[in-house]
Order: sequence, then C-alpha cells, then structure tokens
Amino acid sequence: MHQALLSKRRLADFVSYLVSGHKLVAPVPLQDGHFKFDEVHSLDEISLKYIPTILPPKKYFMPQRSSLLRYDLSKIHEMEEIVELEQLVLFGVHTCDLAGIHCLNIVFSDHPKDPHYLARNNFITIIGLECNDYCDSSAGCAMLHTHLPKGGYDLFLTELSDSYYIHINTQKGEDMVDESSLFDDVTRAAEGELNLLRSRKRELFTSEVPIRYQDIPRLFEETFDSDVWSQLGEKCLSCGNCTAVCPTCFCFDIVDEPELDLSKGERLRVWDSCQNEAFATVAGGENFRRKRMDRQRHRFHRKFKYLMDRYGRLFCTGCGRCSRSCMAGINLKRTISALIEERG
Amino acid sequence: MTRPKVAFFDFSCCEGCQLQVANIGETLLDILNLVELVEFREVMSEKWSGRYTVTFAEGSINNEESAQKLRMLRDRSDILVAYGSCAATGGVIGMQNRISRDNLISTVYGDQWGGEETRTVRAIHQVVKVDYTLYGCPINPAEFLSLLKAILCGISWRASDNAVCVECKFNENVCMYDRGATCLGPITRGGCNSWCVNNGNVCYGCRGMVDNPNRAGAEDVLLTHGLKPELIAAKMEMYTGALEAGNVK
Amino acid sequence: MAVETVRINNSGYRVKHGLLRRITPLTEHEKLFEIMLPEGESLDHDPGQFVQVSLFGVGEAPISICSSPTKREAFEICVRQSGRVTTAIHKLHEGDIVGIRGPFGIGFPVLPLEGNDVLLVAGGLGIAPLRSLINYIIDNRRDFGKVDILLGCRDPESMLFSSEIGHWQKRIDLNFCCSVDHAAPEWAGNVGVITSLIPGVNLHPLKTFVVVCGPPVMYRFVIEELLKKGIPERQIFLSLERHMKCGLGKCGHCQIDNIYCCQDGPVFSYQKLKNIKGAI
Ligand SMILES: Cc1cc2nc3c(=O)[nH]c(=O)nc-3n(C[C@H](O)[C@H](O)[C@H](O)COP(=O)(O)OP(=O)(O)OC[C@H]3O[C@@H](n4cnc5c(N)ncnc54)[C@H](O)[C@@H]3O)c2cc1C
Ligand code: SF4
Ligand code: FES
Repeated sequence: MHQALLSKRRLADFVSYLVSGHKLVAPVPLQDGHFKFDEVHSLDEISLKYIPTILPPKKYFMPQRSSLLRYDLSKIHEMEEIVELEQLVLFGVHTCDLAGIHCLNIVFSDHPKDPHYLARNNFITIIGLECNDYCDSSAGCAMLHTHLPKGGYDLFLTELSDSYYIHINTQKGEDMVDESSLFDDVTRAAEGELNLLRSRKRELFTSEVPIRYQDIPRLFEETFDSDVWSQLGEKCLSCGNCTAVCPTCFCFDIVDEPELDLSKGERLRVWDSCQNEAFATVAGGENFRRKRMDRQRHRFHRKFKYLMDRYGRLFCTGCGRCSRSCMAGINLKRTISALIEERG
Repeated sequence: MTRPKVAFFDFSCCEGCQLQVANIGETLLDILNLVELVEFREVMSEKWSGRYTVTFAEGSINNEESAQKLRMLRDRSDILVAYGSCAATGGVIGMQNRISRDNLISTVYGDQWGGEETRTVRAIHQVVKVDYTLYGCPINPAEFLSLLKAILCGISWRASDNAVCVECKFNENVCMYDRGATCLGPITRGGCNSWCVNNGNVCYGCRGMVDNPNRAGAEDVLLTHGLKPELIAAKMEMYTGALEAGNVK
Repeated sequence: MAVETVRINNSGYRVKHGLLRRITPLTEHEKLFEIMLPEGESLDHDPGQFVQVSLFGVGEAPISICSSPTKREAFEICVRQSGRVTTAIHKLHEGDIVGIRGPFGIGFPVLPLEGNDVLLVAGGLGIAPLRSLINYIIDNRRDFGKVDILLGCRDPESMLFSSEIGHWQKRIDLNFCCSVDHAAPEWAGNVGVITSLIPGVNLHPLKTFVVVCGPPVMYRFVIEELLKKGIPERQIFLSLERHMKCGLGKCGHCQIDNIYCCQDGPVFSYQKLKNIKGAI
C-alpha cells in the first residue's frame, strides 16, 4: 500500500481538481443536523464532519429506481438491456459505508452476477474519510468492526493536525495523486500522529453491547422465539424507513413502466422492503410474513444470520441509520442487548 | 381503433382533482390522442348520451340526488374510477358525519339555510362498485397517468399499499419528526411521491391509511410527541370520517 | 460527464421470445400454453424448474414448466388467472409472443428417484409441475420402480389435464388415485382431503421417494401422513411457492431463512426444510 500527505491548505485545491474532471458527490448539510450525499463544486459545500447521511451511498450503486431494459413493442418485442450511469467520485465516505458498499459488491458479484450493478460500480471512484470520533449513540461500528479502514476505496483520508494522511489503495487513486501534484511524501511525524490517533480510537470506539462479533449469529439463532420480537412487532409501523436507509438492504421489485404511446417503455428495478405488507404475499393471498413481528425478525436475521451463513460476513455495518430513522424508536443496539439479556 | 370514451364528473368536492388533469400540461395533448374526452365540465360544455368506457367520479355522496346520479353513471360506465380523496374515502367532507345535522347546518349556513339537503357523507365505493381508486387530495398526476395507461392496455392496476415514508425516504427528505413536527406518513397510503413533505409540509393522511395500519403503534408515537388523544383521533380521521362511520345507508 | 446509457451484454433480465404455438383452455381459470423458443431452441429444463414469463408493459410471473424435458421442440406451462400478469397472459392468442427467462432453480431429484419407487402427491395447481415429472417418468418408465400418483382438487370441474389423467388411469404401470373436496352425487371417485388417500397406498417406505406439490396449507398434513408411513425425511421432496421477482437470488422476495427459493429451490427435501423456520 502507498501513502501520501495532503496539507490541509491544499484540500480545497484537491476538491477543485476532482471537480474539474468528474462529477463529485460528497456529504452536504440538510436541516436539523442531517446530511446527504449530493453533487458539490467546491470544498466549502462539503461537510467534513457529518453523521451518516440519510441515505447511504448505495443510492449511487443501486439507485432507488433504475432501468434494467428498454422495450419497444412496435418492433416485435425489441429490447435493450441497459444501465444508465455516469462517472462519479464519491468523496468523504466513512468506513461503515465502505463496509456497506463491500456487502453490496459481494451480493451482486455472487453468481448469477448482476452486470447492471457491476457496470455502475466500475464508474464510481471512492475517496474515504476516517472518523476520528464516534458520531452518536446510535452508531455501532465498534461492535461490527467497521470503525477502521479495511479497503474498499481508491483513496482514504485521515485528518491529522495540519494535513491529511492518504492511503492509496488502487492505481486509479495513485493516478489522481500524481496528476493533481498536490501531495507530499509521508513524514515520520505524520506516521507517529496516525499511530497515536489509531490507538486513541481503539480506546474511544468501544462497543457498549456485551457481545463479540463472531458470537452474534449464534445469539440470533438462539433467540428466534424471544419475546423481544413480539415487542418489536407491536411497535413497528411498517414504514420501511429502516430498510431504505440501510447500506446493506438491497431487496427490490421489478416494475414495467410504459410510455404514453404504450408501445415503448422500461423495465425498472425499484427498492422494495421486507417491511412492506405485500413483500412476501403470493397469489391466493397467503403472506408468509404476515405479522410485523415476523418481518422485524426477518430484517434482523438478514443482517446478523442469514447472509452471514451465505457470505461469511455480517450485513450490519453499525452505521446506526435504522435506529436514527425508526418511527417507533426501535434501536438496533438496544434490541441486541435485550436479546443478550433474555438469553442470559 | 376507436378511442375509449372518457368522462369526468363531480359530486361534493372542490373540483381540485379535475384541475390536476386540466393542468397536466403538454401531456394532456398526448392523452387526448389516446382517449376521446366526452364530458368534462372543467374544460368543455358538450354532453354525451352513450356509454362511457371510463368514468372518473370526483367527490363524495351526501344526498339522494347524487347517489342516484352516481348509480346512473355506474350503469353507463364500463370502468368507474373513484377519483381523489372525497371519492375514495369521503375526504374532509366526511368530518361532518361526526357533527349533528342541526349543528352542521347552523355552523355552515347560519340563518341562511335554504333547505339544501345534506345527509351522511359516503365515499363512492360505499354507494356503488368501484373498479379503481385514485387516492389523494388532490390526486397525483403521475399516478393518474399510470392508471390511465393500465386501463388503455387492458391490464389491472393497484394503488400502492406502502406507507408515504417509503417514497419520502427515496426522496431523502429530513423526517418531519426530526424537524419537530408530527406527520402521518408512517401509516398513510403512499403513491403520492411524498408530495407534501418534498415541499416542506407534513403528511395529513389525505390518502387514508394503508390497508393494515399499526394504528395503536402510531398513536403511541404521536403521544410521545406530545399530542393529546383527541387531537390524534381528529388527525387520523380528518380524511376518513366517512369510512369510520361505517357503511352507512 | 453526462449520464450515459450503456448496453449490457449478459444481463440476467434479458428475455427470450417465446412464440405461443398452441393455447388450450383447461378449466374456467386455467389455460395450457405451448411455447416455442426462437429457432426451435430447447429450453433444456429439469422437471420442477420454472420460467419467468413476461409481457412488456405488464410484468413477469414465475410459472412452472409442466411439460417433460423429453419433449424438446417446445415446452408447456399451465397458467391460472390470478392477477395482473396472469390475466394478461390469458388474453393472448396463438401466434403472440411472450418473454421467457430461465429455466430457474433446482427441480425434482430425478436421478435419485431412478431405480426407486415413486409416490407423487399433487394438490390443485401442484399437478402442473408434477406433470413434467410424470411425463418424464412415463418416457423413461423402465428406469423407475412402482409409481403411485395421488391427486387432490377442489371439485371435479377444477381438475386439470383431465383427458391426460384419463390416459394415466388406463396405464398398467401407473397407480393413479384422485380425491375431490366436494362433488355432485354422480361423481364416482373419492371425496375428501388428499391426506385421506395416503394411508391406503401400498409402499415400501425405505425404497420410496415422495414428491409433494400443492398449496402451502397442504404440506404439513401430507408430511405427517408420510412420516407415519415410515418414509425417511430425506426421501420426501417439496416444492415451495414464494413471491418471486428476479429468479436470480437477489431481490429477496423468495427468501426463507438463509435460502433463496428461486435458486436453491423451489424443490427441497423435507430433511432440509424441517429445520428452517417459516418454510412449511
Ligand atoms: C416457483 C413458482 C411456480 C409457480 N408455478 C405456477 C404455475 O405453474 N401456474 C400458475 O398459474 N401459477 C404458478 N405460480 C404462481 C404465479 O407465479 C402467480 O400466480 C403469479 O405470479 C401471479 O402474478 P400476477 O401478476 O398475475 O398477480 P398479481 O397481480 O401480482 O397478484 C396475484 C396475487 O398476489 C397477491 N398480491 C400480489 N401483490 C399484492 C399486493 N401488492 N397487495 C396484496 N396482494 C398482493 C394477491 O393475493 C393477488 O391475488 C408459481 C409461483 C412460483 C413461485
Ligand atoms: S423504521 Fe421502525 S417503524 Fe419503520 S418499518 Fe423499520 S422498524 Fe418498523
Ligand atoms: S426471486 Fe429474487 S431472490 Fe428469489
């Protein structure tokens, strides 16, 4: 791995360099302490300190609605499988969201591969940004081991006292560093500062939930019939916020949308949610997860058990978004703690 | 191919939903290539005496004269669409079902009452069979087009049963609860593309609740946000008074 | 820097054109469609697999293939009119085109069945996927031991493939037995739920493989009867119906526990399913 230093004075120039070549997307402030990823043109639009954005970067990898194919019935069912995309640089992605993107990559590169997703992925450059402090009480990155960088980026920035320490992970990242000519070599002082920061982080980022990463799937296996689920079921409003904001929820519906001439149209992939009432309903009206409790349990099990079985990693990144956005105050860390307590 | 004959009618309502179509812009011309508009009081004066392929009925029914006219339209229409909140759920007019008739008349007309008949308010489906329902106060033009296209293609169509929050999150709005307001989005039927919240307003529940709302859970949430039970009930029934009163005759 | 539209070559969502060569109404709500792929390409499916049938502008529906893979020049599906897509399919005419994706999933365990006795239990529309297996067995009859078929349906009028069933009944190498939930007095066959037929079947539990296909409510009761007969759990196979959108193990609709019915199923052994909560 290669490193470099970027003096803080030059960050604005680096952002300008990025903007000159690409569409740049970064966290920007919204009302009442919220943020979103959006297009920016200069550093002063960007929030370098932010809590996880309302929607995670998945909206660029797998947009809310995206075209899978276009058809034309007037030409004997002609069709064209497509993806609509643009070159993007995602700037300022936290480690939890890098983990989320990684999860999506795994799912869509698993056989049968999804070339629509993969094509889009190739068009996105990722510049990560380290969190030096815990963002809020909803965050669970320490429990999920996503608080330190583990790849998944082209460049990764860590803020030091007067510069940014840059990890260069790909050739694309290296090319940006070379081409912009804004970077310096890493100094011994910077190395020292980085190490100090990381060891401070290890103390600061501790999980409040008394469970080890590797023991989490078993917890869920053993608490399938817990009362915690019926309590969640009573509270949940089935609004679907938790799954929309989740960086690793990827369930979708497929919807046809004809144009007004009725012969041309598109087949779209649209986000769906296991919390929506009809998600598991089949013809004849049978709904395999009719009760809210079943749907809530399914959501948690997908994060902590089912996809672990399949892909060997937890599908929760600890970003805390579901807890922040739940209408009913259902909190992920408190739910896990309640399960631990009940199991004893 | 003969174009399907389409008509718009209104009962007790503000006609705002019809205006949504009249104001749909250029697309309206495309629509007029596909359908033959045979009656639409907002934009034309012609009348039609034959069968309607599709009838859009706006407004709620609150007197026998309207009910009879609606039955006649049902008989003459292949497809009947309840169009907008008043038609779909009784709408705000349904609130009058909770007020005594004398009280209602004196509040609305004072001493000017000229004997206008007003009975219990009913949604369209409480009077005749409805094929499709477009919810919303007003209806959402995009949803209107989606239904119209399905009808023209001869395929069935179903209104969304997802909460307003679903689309509100698609649109990445800051949640109204985080902005210090209360909002009925979590239990209200979506399909409106979270129109109100996108424009800085809360959701008033104009599309009625989803098919299977967790009403008790939603009441708890509103209570913890400081709302009084009476206010919660009033909010939740603002658009659905007619349905709450049951299938009244 | 603008949005580009890029063409994807190997999309899992590409559909093949399926020509509706013949449409045969079976009952009031079910029709049989014979479909030919371009240039007579064979679908090359296993019994128990399904295809996504699609109509542009309407959508897609997962439908079991009900013809045997031994019929190569075309395949058949039996569609019940139940909603948006299936109603639109019912309105099509011979010569029209539908989109086909697939075949998807893991079908019935044809190879393990060979050399063994076979008991096939179908409820209602479940006869459609099983017909693929039955005709496969008939076409390779000597590879299998004793073959029993139990069919349950609501009433005689809703019985699918009744003329074909007539042929099966006449064959000496198939034991066919049928029961209806309700019937007019002139009905000569059995009346009662399908589970009532199981105790009467004469079988060698350890040599018999059972394949069950029917509405979700049927499974628990049928399995109970089969276990009573002493059939080992790993020799009982079930086909699960779940809401399916992609067929590619991605969209999440068909998920139960850690399995995706569209790719890991729809056919599973009872041994596997019994430990999966919410499967049956
Ligand atoms: C593996 C597999 C094999 C199958 N094989 C066959 C077969 O061989 N033949 C056959 O006829 N069918 C088969 N089916 C069933 C078939 O796929 C469904 O009937 C079909 O998908 C229905 O689609 P539709 O668009 O016609 O109905 P939809 O319009 O989607 O509605 C059908 C039903 O689904 C439910 N539903 C769907 N969405 C909602 C919603 N938003 N709100 C409430 N209820 C909803 C309702 O009960 C409704 O009646 C199979 C299914 C699977 C999974
Ligand atoms: S955000 Fe909360 S209330 Fe909404 S569906 Fe998820 S758990 Fe239920
Ligand atoms: S149908 Fe999409 S995952 Fe199975």
